[in-house]
Amino acid sequence: MIAGAWRAAVKVLRSARLATWLLAFVGAWSVAGTLVPQSNAGPDVVAKWAAAHAGLEPVVRTLGFHDAFTSPVFTACIVVLALCTALCAWERTRLAVGKARILRRSAVLDASALAGDHDLEIACGPALSGDEVLARTAAKLGELGVKTKRADGVLAAVSSPWSVWGSPVFHWALFALMVALIVGNLMRASGLMGISVGETKTDAPTSYGLVHAGPLYDWSRVHRSIRVDAFDPAYRSDGIDRGPTPTVSLLDAAGNVLKTQRVYPNMTLKSGTLTIYPSDFGFTTGLTLLNSKGAETGHSAQLVDFSDTKDGTSASGSLNVRDNAGNVLLSFSVTVPLDRVGGALVRRIPKQPAVRVVATGPDGAKVLDAIVREGATVVLPTGDSLRLDGIDYYARLSLVDDGSIPLLYAGLIVAVLGLTLAVAARQQIVMATVIEGSEGTKLALKMRLWRNASSSRSEIESELALALGEDLDTKESTP
Amino acid sequence: MTLEIILMWFTLTFYAAATATYAFGVTFSKEKLTGRALYVATAGLAFQIASLGIRWERLGHGPYLGFYEVANALVLCVVAFFVVVAWRNPRLSAAGMAIMPVAVVLLGGAMLSSKAGLPITAKLASYWLFIHVAFANLAFAAFAISFGCAVTYVIRVHSKTGKWTARLQKLPAQDVLENLTVRFVLVGFLFWAIMIATGAIWANEAWGSYWSWDPIETWSLIVWIIYAVYLHVRFTLKWHGERLAWFAIVAMPLALFALIGIPLAFNTPHAGIGGLGKDF
Ligand code: HEM
Repeated sequence: MIAGAWRAAVKVLRSARLATWLLAFVGAWSVAGTLVPQSNAGPDVVAKWAAAHAGLEPVVRTLGFHDAFTSPVFTACIVVLALCTALCAWERTRLAVGKARILRRSAVLDASALAGDHDLEIACGPALSGDEVLARTAAKLGELGVKTKRADGVLAAVSSPWSVWGSPVFHWALFALMVALIVGNLMRASGLMGISVGETKTDAPTSYGLVHAGPLYDWSRVHRSIRVDAFDPAYRSDGIDRGPTPTVSLLDAAGNVLKTQRVYPNMTLKSGTLTIYPSDFGFTTGLTLLNSKGAETGHSAQLVDFSDTKDGTSASGSLNVRDNAGNVLLSFSVTVPLDRVGGALVRRIPKQPAVRVVATGPDGAKVLDAIVREGATVVLPTGDSLRLDGIDYYARLSLVDDGSIPLLYAGLIVAVLGLTLAVAARQQIVMATVIEGSEGTKLALKMRLWRNASSSRSEIESELALALGEDLDTKESTP
Repeated sequence: MTLEIILMWFTLTFYAAATATYAFGVTFSKEKLTGRALYVATAGLAFQIASLGIRWERLGHGPYLGFYEVANALVLCVVAFFVVVAWRNPRLSAAGMAIMPVAVVLLGGAMLSSKAGLPITAKLASYWLFIHVAFANLAFAAFAISFGCAVTYVIRVHSKTGKWTARLQKLPAQDVLENLTVRFVLVGFLFWAIMIATGAIWANEAWGSYWSWDPIETWSLIVWIIYAVYLHVRFTLKWHGERLAWFAIVAMPLALFALIGIPLAFNTPHAGIGGLGKDF
C-alpha cells in the first residue's frame, strides 16, 4: 500500500501540468505579496492599510498575505515545486541519455544506412546529378540556417551529444538552489548590533539589538568579537561620498585582530561566512553619575538615534536612579539637540557638544529638562548630579553569518550555464543522401529538430522540394 | 540645446521614420520600403550611440541613472538587437513594424523627462551595476523582439482576406516565426536570470543580504516566472499557435513594468533599474 501511495505521489509530482500550475501560483501569490503591505514594513503601515481596506483585511490576514513570503502556504508551494523539479530533472536526465545515444549513433551513419533508414524522400529533377542534388541541398539548408558537412555522399548536421544536457543540468541546479535556500535560511543568523567608537562587543545574541537566527544556527561555535575603531560621518574616496563610515575590526576569541577596514556600501567586511555592513549610525553619550559629595557612583553610555523630532534625535532608552532598596527615584533620558545650517538639522556631533536631559519622577511627571554641555554637570532632584563626559558616534552594524552563500553562488552559476546550453545549443539531426531508384533520383532525409532549430520540418521540406525540382519547372516553362 | 540632445532628437526622428516606413512598406506591399526601413533604423541607432557616447564621456558613467538614461539604454538595446537580427536574417525585418513603435514610445517618454546628469553614489559604485543593468537591458531587448515576432504572427493569423499574408509573405513561415518567438523568449529568460543572479550577488556583496523580497526583486522574479510558465506551456503542454503568441505579447509589457513602472510606483531602498538615481 505504501508503495502504491508512493507511486501515486510520484506520478502527481512528475506532472508537467502541476509544475506549470505551481509556477503560475507562485507568480500570482508574489504579485499579491507586492500589493499588500508586508509585516516587516512595520505595524503602522499594515494597520493603515487594514483600516483603508476593512473588507479585504480578514481574507488577507487569514491567507497570510501580510507575511506572503514566509507564510506556510507559500513555503509549502516552494517545497512541492522543489520536489516536482527534482523528479522532472530526473526525467529530463533519462530523456537526455536517450537523445545523446541517438545523436551518437546518427553521427556514424553512412550513405547506405541512411538510404535504408530515413524519414522522408524528396523527388529531384531528372537533370540533376547526385552531386548537384547534394550541393543544392547543402546550399538551401545553409540558407535556412542548417550548416551541413559533406562526407562520403552524406550531408550531415548532427548536434554534439552534450547539446542535450542543458535542460537537465538547469533543472537539477534549480532544485539544488531551492534546497540551498531553504537549508540556508535554517542555518543563517543575522542581526543589528550598535557599537560605539572604541567599544568591543562579543558576537553573541545578547550583544544584538535585533537578531534572527535559524534553528540550525549554532551560537556555541561562534567565538569572536567586533570593535569599532573610528567613525567618519562623511568619508570620501575616489571622488565619491561614501556616507557615514565606521572602521571596524574583527577579533578572534583571544582578542587578536583578524581584519580591520572601513565598511561602507559595496565595501563590506567579510571573513569566512560572516559579512559586516553599516546599517545606520547615531550618537553615544558618555555620562557619569555623582553623589551629593561629588564622588562618582556610576558611568553609562547612552545611545541616541536620529529622529523627526524638533531636536532631531531621540533617546534609545532611559536610565534610572534608584534608592538603596532598589526603588526607582528618577528616570532620565538624553537626546542631542542637533546644529542647524540654513534651517536644516545637521547629523553631526554639534560644534559645542551638549545633551538635553529630561527626567521624570516615579509618578511619570517631568521634573527636569536641562541642557548639559560637555564636561558640565546638572543637579538632579534627588541631590545627585549628572556629568556629560563627551559625545561620540556609534555605528549600527548589520551582521550576517550565512554558510550557504558559496552553495547558492555555485547553484546560480551552474543554473546559468545549464540554461545557456539549453538556449544556445541546437539539438538536431539533419542528414541527407541521394538514392537512385526506378522512380528517379530522390533525396533521402533524416530529420529530428528537437530544440533551437533555425527552421521547421515543413519549411525544410517545401524549400528543398522547390530547390531540387527547380530545373524541371524551368525546363517545362521554357519553350 | 547641446549636440548630445540634438543627436537624440535625430534618433527619435529616425526611429519614428523607420516605424512609418515599415508601416507603409508592409501595408502597401512595398518590399523595397521595408528594406529601407532597416537602413533608417540603423541610422537612428548610429545617432543614439553617438549621443549616449558623448553623454558617457561627459558624465563619466554609462546610461543607468534616472528615467532618461534608463529608457534610452532600453531603447538602444532593443533597436541594436533588432537591427543585428534583421541584418543577419533579412526575412525578419518586417517584424520591425511591431518593434520600432516600442522604441519610439519609450524614447519619446525619455525625451519628455529630465535630462539632467546624476552622479554615481556610494550605493551604486560597483562594477556589478554595469553587469546587472546590461543584462536587464539585453533581456528586455530579447523580449521586445519576441513580442514583435508574436504580433506579426497574430496579424498573419487574422488576415482573413489573405491580404496581410501577401504583405508579410517575406517573413519566415508561421511555424518558423513561432520557433523564433520561443527562441527570443529563451534568450531573454536567460539574460533575465543573469540579471536576477547578478543583482542577488551584488546585494549580498553590497549589504550582506541577497534577497529581501522588496517589490523590485519580487517583480523581476514574477516576470521570470511568467516567462518560465510560457516556456513550460510551450515545451511541456505543447501550446502553440495564436494563444502562445498572445502569451508573448502580454508578457513583454509586464517586463517593461517591472523595469520602469515598479521603481516609480514603489518607494523602496532598492532602486531597480528604472529608479537608479531617483533619490536625487
Ligand atoms: C522553479 C521551477 C522551474 C523553472 C524556473 C523552470 C524553467 C524552465 C525553462 C526555462 C525551460 C526551457 C529551457 C529548457 O529546456 O530547460 C524549461 C523546460 C522544461 N521544464 Fe522546467 N522549470 C521549472 C520546473 C520544472 C518542473 C517542476 C518540471 C516538471 C514537470 C519541469 C519540466 C520541464 C520540461 C519537461 C521542460 C521541457 C524541456 C525540453 O523540451 O527539452 N520544469 N523549464
